[in-house]
Amino acid sequence: MSEGMKVQPDLEFIKYLKNAGGDTLKKCYQCATCSVVCPLSGDDKPFPRKEMIWSQWGLKEKLVADPDVMLCHQCGDCTTNCPRGAKPGDVLGAIRAYAYTHYGFPQGLAKLCSQGKNLPIMILIPTLIIGIVWWLSGGMKLPDGDINFGYFFGDAYYVLPVTTLLIQLIFVPTLLFAIYAFYRGISNMWKGMAAQLPATERNFRPSVTQFISEFIWPSVKEIMTHKRFNECGTNRNRVTGHMPLVFAFIALLAVTAYAMIRKDVFGLFIEGLHVPLTFADPFKILANVAGIALIVGVGILWVNRSRTERENNTTPTFYDWYPIGIVMAVGVTGMAAQIFRLGDVAVMAYLLYFMHLVSVFMLFLYTPYTKLAHMFYRTFAMAFEKYRASGYVQKQD
Amino acid sequence: MTDERSAPSGAVLVVGGGISGLTAALEAAEVGQDVFLVEKNPSLGGRVAQLNQYFPKLCPPSCGLEINYQRIKNNRKIRVHTMTEVKSVSGGPGNYQVTLTVNPRYVNSNCTCCNACVDACQDEVDNPFNFGMDKVKAIRKPHEHAFPARYVLDKDACSSASLDAIVGACKYDAVELDMQAKEITVDVASIIWATGWNPYDPNNLENLKFNSSQAIISNMMMERLASVNGPTGGKILRPGDNAEPASFAFVQCAGSRDENHLEYCSYICCMASMKQINYIRAQYPEAPITVFYIDLRTPGKYEKFREKLMADENITWIKGKVADIVAENDGSVTLIAEDAVTGNKAQAKVDLAVLATGMQPAISDQAKALGLTTDDNNFVVSQEEGMISAGCAKKASDVVTCAQSATAAAMKAIQASRR
Repeated sequence: MSEGMKVQPDLEFIKYLKNAGGDTLKKCYQCATCSVVCPLSGDDKPFPRKEMIWSQWGLKEKLVADPDVMLCHQCGDCTTNCPRGAKPGDVLGAIRAYAYTHYGFPQGLAKLCSQGKNLPIMILIPTLIIGIVWWLSGGMKLPDGDINFGYFFGDAYYVLPVTTLLIQLIFVPTLLFAIYAFYRGISNMWKGMAAQLPATERNFRPSVTQFISEFIWPSVKEIMTHKRFNECGTNRNRVTGHMPLVFAFIALLAVTAYAMIRKDVFGLFIEGLHVPLTFADPFKILANVAGIALIVGVGILWVNRSRTERENNTTPTFYDWYPIGIVMAVGVTGMAAQIFRLGDVAVMAYLLYFMHLVSVFMLFLYTPYTKLAHMFYRTFAMAFEKYRASGYVQKQD
Repeated sequence: MTDERSAPSGAVLVVGGGISGLTAALEAAEVGQDVFLVEKNPSLGGRVAQLNQYFPKLCPPSCGLEINYQRIKNNRKIRVHTMTEVKSVSGGPGNYQVTLTVNPRYVNSNCTCCNACVDACQDEVDNPFNFGMDKVKAIRKPHEHAFPARYVLDKDACSSASLDAIVGACKYDAVELDMQAKEITVDVASIIWATGWNPYDPNNLENLKFNSSQAIISNMMMERLASVNGPTGGKILRPGDNAEPASFAFVQCAGSRDENHLEYCSYICCMASMKQINYIRAQYPEAPITVFYIDLRTPGKYEKFREKLMADENITWIKGKVADIVAENDGSVTLIAEDAVTGNKAQAKVDLAVLATGMQPAISDQAKALGLTTDDNNFVVSQEEGMISAGCAKKASDVVTCAQSATAAAMKAIQASRR
């Protein structure tokens, strides 16, 4: 810095941060208490003091390519100890929210997901897509006999097998699209972060296997054990909510994939497979346990967030509440649809199943642009942190 | 009709006998006003009496205080009540009735400071004048330069045998064990609140772990350590083991400019630390000293003072607030901050760490009950005519500013008395 640097503040970016929960950022006077009390910050270039001044200066490019922003778990220790009430944790949260939009592909969709006022549109998109398909398929009526969500898009299963594939035709491309969006966003983030590294000769590039085994896998292990979360002081109790949620997510992903293959792939050829799993089926048990864990986990996070917002007098943001809301919606509609199916209340069962499809669609499509995107952005930032400290970057003598 | 040459009509009550109260009382009395000067401690002089040296000229406190005590002794207009607190205030400007509580000293004015009672007393207490860094007898002169020069007894700390011995040792009948708290009422035209300050309690600073090591002291403790009448006779030694520290650190803004503690800048701590570096330099010319700061504030004409210290190669200045202190097994402590200039963590392992704690208004909760208006930080706001705040009761100040504000308060008090 001694050679001097020209600061060209991005005023729009500063305004954005202030609106997105970082309204206190200008109070920071750079005492650096935060960097010392942060349990996740290292000795070398610790955060979040430097991020606070970059934010005040509006150095957007530096911040979106700063892995430390993603490494922050918003423990809240910095905010608790901040002598000025500048809430560094909230500022970093606001930067992350900005970064997810910044890296979002396509930009239109990313921007749509960045503001709470767009929520009706966000709900309308899957409602229309699934609703129109439901209507066109001829399934939008109360079928006779047992309730079977497998015949949601029409009961003409044996006549027109395609109708059962409609659900796959909607959801599989959506998921692939989201995965591609993540790929685009994360590779851009990685390039940005790599460009911030000191301009020395890279020794050599890691292979894909090396990359996964040396950087990604250790990061995933840390995430699963909630190692960093557990180091948090102020907001430590979030682990009790977040951990069941993570495992429920993984379990539900597995059982959904299993159900899809069993019912809608093999079920096309083998009669009797295209029916709901019995309650004794291990996958069904797993699904129900995970469903309850999901609701309980997100419920704990809901309560925690309400409480901290009340205690710290922070304004609730769409960014923070969307993931809680959508995960709760997925869990509750799924569980309620099952209950009404068992209770044989056909109208409610099909209606809730429809709502369940809408919320799952939202979960798939909007994850790369909302707070939920942290599941991949943070994983890769952690991988980058390890990469940065490894022999691939550090000059070897 | 007001005749400016007529005898002053109403008396002035000055609450607090520190440098501000002394100044205000003398300024008012020396133009002919009757003055009641009340002080809750057994002797006058306040926080200044505890300093080793004070700005602007780095005099020992005896220097300025002795002159003021002389002026008081020679002025029949001032009545001094020590061990006295204000209980209640009624009335209005020009006509206040103030009830004062005089707490028992258990020693009357027969006391000649012969010290026979101290030799007889068997019980010791932590010395409040030295922030508990040494022990004193339960009966004692409050400190070497105490004025009024009269002993005080901490009766609750004494066994009955000890009390008997004390009474027996005094040949002037100065010890009165049955002395009771009493109330007196005074009629005054105006009140000057010069209630001063207390050092902010470092135990509140959780991350600095004041209690974890004796190598962590406050800046006021440093004043006592450096004072010839302090616990170590003026030698700067680490409390507890009395080791000569080989290295020092100063933690600026310890609890100041901090919404969780004192929201405001206490004004004096930067210069106080720089002054204390001079104390250290006089005894340890080569010892490494690290100063952790957010900003260094050298108000008034003290910029040269800073420049001189910054030329000292054995002093490291780190821009970053200490946010963690770790007690080490060898008796030293490690201070941790982020150096905001380099962007890396900075650590300093030192034998003695001084927390530059700030000034907290001493009157605090009591102010409301006495009908005073205070700001959000408990500093007394002069609002109605006749209720005037001065010195550190008004805002965090150095001695010079206190003397100015006390003189201004005396002027306002005189005006209120003659209206």
